[in-house]
Amino acid sequence: MNDLAAASAAALTDASPAKLKVRDVHFYYHGYHALKGINMDIPEKQVTAIIGPSGCGKSTLLRIFNRIYAIYPKLEAKGSIELDGENILDPSYSMNRLRTKVGMVFQKPVPFPMTIFENVAYGIRHHEKLSRADMDMRVEQALRSAALWDEVKDKLKQSALGLSGGQQQRLCIARGIALRPEVLLLDEPTSALDPIATGRIEQLVEELKHEYTIVIVTHNMQQAARVSDRTAFMYLGELIEFDNTEKIFTKPGKKQTEDYITGRFG
Amino acid sequence: MSAVYARRRIVNIIALTLSGFATLIGLFFLVWILWITLQNGLPALKLTLFTKITAYADTGGLANAMVGSLIMDLMALLICAPIGVLAGTYLAEYASSTRLGASIRFLNDILLSAPSIVLGLFVYVIIVIPTTELTGGRISFSGFAGSVALALIGLPVIVRTTDEMLQLVPGTLREAALSLGIPQWKLTLQVLMRAAFSGILTGVLLALARLAGETAPLLFTAFGNNFMTVHPLDKMASMPVTIYQYTNDPNPALHAIAWAGALLITLFVLALSLLTRIMFSRKKVSYE
Amino acid sequence: MSALSAEPLPRDTEQRSRTDARHDFVFRLLLRFCALLVLAALLGAALSTLWGGREVLFKDGLHFLFSSDWNPVNDQYGALAPIVGTLVTSLIALLLAVPVSFGIALFLTEIAPNWMRGPVSSAIELLAAIPSIIYGMWGLFIFVPFMASIEPTLSDTLGNIPLIGALFQGPPLGLGLLTAGIVLAVMILPFISSVMREVFRTVPARLKESSYALGSTTWEVVWNIVLPYTRSAVIGGIFLGLGRALGETMAVTFVLGNSYNLTASLLMPGTSISSSIANEFNEAVGLHRSALIALGFLLFVVTFIVLLIARFMLRQLARKEGR
Repeated sequence: MNDLAAASAAALTDASPAKLKVRDVHFYYHGYHALKGINMDIPEKQVTAIIGPSGCGKSTLLRIFNRIYAIYPKLEAKGSIELDGENILDPSYSMNRLRTKVGMVFQKPVPFPMTIFENVAYGIRHHEKLSRADMDMRVEQALRSAALWDEVKDKLKQSALGLSGGQQQRLCIARGIALRPEVLLLDEPTSALDPIATGRIEQLVEELKHEYTIVIVTHNMQQAARVSDRTAFMYLGELIEFDNTEKIFTKPGKKQTEDYITGRFG
Repeated sequence: MSAVYARRRIVNIIALTLSGFATLIGLFFLVWILWITLQNGLPALKLTLFTKITAYADTGGLANAMVGSLIMDLMALLICAPIGVLAGTYLAEYASSTRLGASIRFLNDILLSAPSIVLGLFVYVIIVIPTTELTGGRISFSGFAGSVALALIGLPVIVRTTDEMLQLVPGTLREAALSLGIPQWKLTLQVLMRAAFSGILTGVLLALARLAGETAPLLFTAFGNNFMTVHPLDKMASMPVTIYQYTNDPNPALHAIAWAGALLITLFVLALSLLTRIMFSRKKVSYE
Repeated sequence: MSALSAEPLPRDTEQRSRTDARHDFVFRLLLRFCALLVLAALLGAALSTLWGGREVLFKDGLHFLFSSDWNPVNDQYGALAPIVGTLVTSLIALLLAVPVSFGIALFLTEIAPNWMRGPVSSAIELLAAIPSIIYGMWGLFIFVPFMASIEPTLSDTLGNIPLIGALFQGPPLGLGLLTAGIVLAVMILPFISSVMREVFRTVPARLKESSYALGSTTWEVVWNIVLPYTRSAVIGGIFLGLGRALGETMAVTFVLGNSYNLTASLLMPGTSISSSIANEFNEAVGLHRSALIALGFLLFVVTFIVLLIARFMLRQLARKEGR
């Protein structure tokens, strides 16, 4: 085990057990070496933020956690990522299982062209046969958890495309947690939203971490500082530093991290 | 120096004037043709057009031709819309960067402007001849054969629009559905097609506008029929073919009926293409 | 908040995965099959007309192509007259439509005020939406008499010019190759002009601006910058129009005159491949029918090649744009 893994393992002692164990992950993008041996342990039921300048590979790493990258040709991930002790990069790990365990929310809100109710029910319906009453309950639970229920309970049959950007994004979160995943991946979930909507999403993340392991990629350092328990700083496809958020933002261990945090970058 | 400059300016003015003139020529022909159709068609519009059949010749109407066209156009859409939408989906979702996809897209564009009379011959050879031989001539030319020929006209239009419209759907929508564990086929049918629905529908209407005015592919597939029939295996009359036959006839009373029919077809086709134009410009896909 | 506790769910994800994979596979096959039908349509059109015309194509071979003797009574079929008619009318159509289309495209991209561009280009494109049978009727009832009225003048003026004079001599019938060519020109106008208009718009503004900055006139910018930049696509658009003209049936059938006599004059009646098929097919039997299907095969092959070139040229510009 190299220095970094040792360091991150050490840092975990005061935190929860690792939900995701990332071991020597490399990523190739049309032959370009985009991730160069990432090692990190993502703690259970905490918020882990990944920060770094554009092109550092933070989104790429996140997109490996549910293998969404695999829908495009010529992308390749090597190494192992253990979710509860099983390697999700192993081809025998079924996609269906992975995607129900690991949910994802994207940069721009992308509601399906369906009603608000159907947006949440759609995913559930594919994986489970539920009675109508059970389905209603599940949808309500999901919408409540995403702090959206009160705003939409009277218009569940209306198109989701009519919601505001912030509401759409919370709907996407509801859609993700409706499947009861264990891990929730958020890929710059507030970059397309106004400050008020952003505030609500951040508050939501705060609440959701009691139930889910959350990994959030953000270009906004203040956001990482506000919502996360642990922060990883990436640069040029490498994990430079991974530690408790407070430590990263107050006394970072690496010069590059410090430069980035203090805005002296580039 | 100034002489050169003056010469250049004069050349410029002449060229620009000519280009304006060229535009006027184009518009002039449009107005001329539409005006003539209106001028000859309007006085000939009578109720009997819709109530009487072509068997009465110059005292008759176009009722059987209208019904025939309606049936064949709809059957053609029933054939080419599903195939075209699925083929276009294949191009956009499964083969956007493969060699096979590129070749099919390329050849589809060629089919788009292939001579319609040859497509009529194609259907004659593969449907009319075999049915004639198999049934001893009981079933030869048929509304069904006509529909297949028309479907070949509409198919490439639908393939192309579906392909283009699906490519406008943002990739994140695919990722969002796949990340919920939704399989590709469900994602395609239930999410992407719904997102691109108005665009795909536009393609179908565009195809209808194109095939509704076609004459050549029907000449030796549906042939024609002076009587009313709704049976798809009968010879079937159609508006364009009836107009063609009446125009070829020396009887001026038939010319009048032909003009009336021509006016109806033109109005239908132009209304459809204006409608699709508006739909296209309003929104391509229900996403930005 | 705690309503959604992560209770273990009794889901058989392995089974689900297998079912999904199977459905995806079948769905993909279905889609691919439909896409291949497009290929089948083209291939089928070629093979079926080849098969239908085999008696004439393989029996007479080259003689079919180069003989001008078309005589159903003696079962003699030479396709030269329809082939020449098709080529000549299409050529006339191009000669007339290309400059006019260029003018329209130039007007709509460089000169017309913004409010005018949309409506005018829509109007021009409506020309393409008018069913070809309407062109045929207008041609026969309106345009033929008009041509008949001006043909004496044409014969008296253009007919006396050495070399090309022979093209414009003959009785003022109104019907004939020239008339058909003009009708075709109007029909293909919208196709060529819309391609030109679209590709003219793709010329990067900085190219044009730098030329304007050097004091070029609009015409010089179009002629020296826009046209060379878009050359391949413009040629593609012209070939697209040619492909349309070659295969057009109903617009020319009425105004050609259906005559198999080859003459030098454009004012004389002629025939074309498509109008021969349209006029004679339903009365033809046996070898006659085979000859007409063989004509269809020829038409298909020629238009296929023309359209292949068109699409290829159009693609060049798309590639240059990095699309």
